Amino acid sequence: MVVRFYGEPELKKPVLIAGWPGIGNIGIAAVDTLREQIQAEEFGKIEPWGFFYPKKVSIKGGLLRDLEFPINNFYYKRLERKDLIFFIGEEQPSSQGGFYAKGEKAYEMANLVLDVAEKFGCQRVYTSGACVSPIHHRMKPRVISVVSSQKLKEETKKYPNTILISEIEERGNGGTITGLNGLLLTVAKKRGLESICLMGEIPDWLSGAPLPYPEASKSVLEVFADILGISLDFTELDKMALKIEGIIEEIYEKFPSEIKERYEQRKFVAQAESKAITEEDAKWIKEHIDELFKKGKEDGE
Amino acid sequence: MENKLFEIYKALQFHSPSLIVGWQTHDVGKIGSRVIDFLNEKLGGQEIAEIKPSGFFSLEGAMFENDLIQVPESKLWACQKNGLLTFKSDVPEYEQYKFLSAVLHLAQYHCKVKELYTISGTVSLIAHTAPRRILTVFNKPEFRKRLQGYGLEDLTWEGPPAISSYLLWLARRRGISGVSLWPQVPFYLAAKEDPEAIKLALSFLNRRFNLALDLTELDEEIVRQKEKIARLRDENREINRSIRVLQMGLSLGEEEQMKLAREVYEVLSYPCHCEPKAKQPPDEYR
Repeated sequence: MVVRFYGEPELKKPVLIAGWPGIGNIGIAAVDTLREQIQAEEFGKIEPWGFFYPKKVSIKGGLLRDLEFPINNFYYKRLERKDLIFFIGEEQPSSQGGFYAKGEKAYEMANLVLDVAEKFGCQRVYTSGACVSPIHHRMKPRVISVVSSQKLKEETKKYPNTILISEIEERGNGGTITGLNGLLLTVAKKRGLESICLMGEIPDWLSGAPLPYPEASKSVLEVFADILGISLDFTELDKMALKIEGIIEEIYEKFPSEIKERYEQRKFVAQAESKAITEEDAKWIKEHIDELFKKGKEDGE
Repeated sequence: MENKLFEIYKALQFHSPSLIVGWQTHDVGKIGSRVIDFLNEKLGGQEIAEIKPSGFFSLEGAMFENDLIQVPESKLWACQKNGLLTFKSDVPEYEQYKFLSAVLHLAQYHCKVKELYTISGTVSLIAHTAPRRILTVFNKPEFRKRLQGYGLEDLTWEGPPAISSYLLWLARRRGISGVSLWPQVPFYLAAKEDPEAIKLALSFLNRRFNLALDLTELDEEIVRQKEKIARLRDENREINRSIRVLQMGLSLGEEEQMKLAREVYEVLSYPCHCEPKAKQPPDEYR
């Protein structure tokens, strides 16, 4: 497995911000939007063939033109407050197939990414993902943090609209951040690097939906803007959020009224205690979600 | 390349042989496996090496098909007199890059292979009575030029790559010329065998490498298969109509396609106990 560099940027204690696809693509959308808006420059990539099966072949007139693999690129940007390295992975590598990274390959990729980060003097790593929460879809998603040290707990509490995961009911005793957005933090901590995961909230019933959730990406992005002391343009995310909101509302309209009634209570209770739908309601939504999405599409989406 | 990925049983001397690869997973019309088996049998192929399955296949318990235990196999044979190597394998489930690199390493460094041919059937919406074509993908334009005159046709495609395309791409990176041969297989023969397409692929190899293969037994298989389908058409008007639609170059609805594929599959699964209907006109003329 090889990392190819196109250049050797001079960076001063950069921070690594890494993103892979996951639930609602919350993390990757936030990280990639940030990278794009500050115009970070590509300076290297991880050769993909040991990790991924090619996603596309181009054959024209009997000649094999090329194979296309998922991208695994490094970018950098020097900002006034901090130097940054980005890593964007288009797919999560997995030794045994599946959407989320696991096994030897995932571990290998996490190490390669951190090798590059450490080569440039990085001491802190951010990843981003989704936190499935009992929130109402009309509420502003918060950012939930999981960190590698007590000191960082205090720091992230000061981030805007951010809470520690232990502040969410039923999550205080621990859990797992699946895939590389989680594994990278584990490997980083093992190497003695500071690591922080910023997860945008997504309503529990939407976590399995085949939709992005830009509202949560925006929340994460607002935190990054605050950390980096920059202002960002949210127009594109807002446009996308509006479109997704329309789809979600249409689906929601089809919920049975008694479930809706209970679900609406989520708006009036503090998010940390919010539940307000029964286990049976949750089961009903889970069982009908595909059907509701299909129906939404047939109705003109 | 770690030698522990493969095992060489017999070290032989070669002079720029060609490697012919057939995959036995999702083997449309059984083209890949039948062509390799035919070559090995008729040319006296000797098993010389294998890629070890560990790490490439899920070796959890025993897989079985038609009551038989299935073992993932990836074997290399040498048909030394004819300057050919044949490789028949299941498509690796994991670590495809490592697996294909091992195949090419074995071929290039241990056997001095200069040319690569992969053979797989491609599902086509044609009738079984239509002449088959071989669609091709080359990894180098100069190799394509060298094979002009064999009646091969160019393929154009953009989408998920087959394992053969991946192998071809890796071969090009190593300087090995390669071509994927994709004989057309009528969709309703895809799950069974298509002796006509098998014969077409073998005829190409026969010409290309002057193998002097006798393909008569395949002619007999073709006749037997056509007769079975002809009998089905006699008994089933709907099937007859569907095949006729295809013969006219028209397309069938999804349900009709499924029905045709199912009926033909069933009829070809039973051994034929009847004598061929000598008086029946060949179905090409219906």
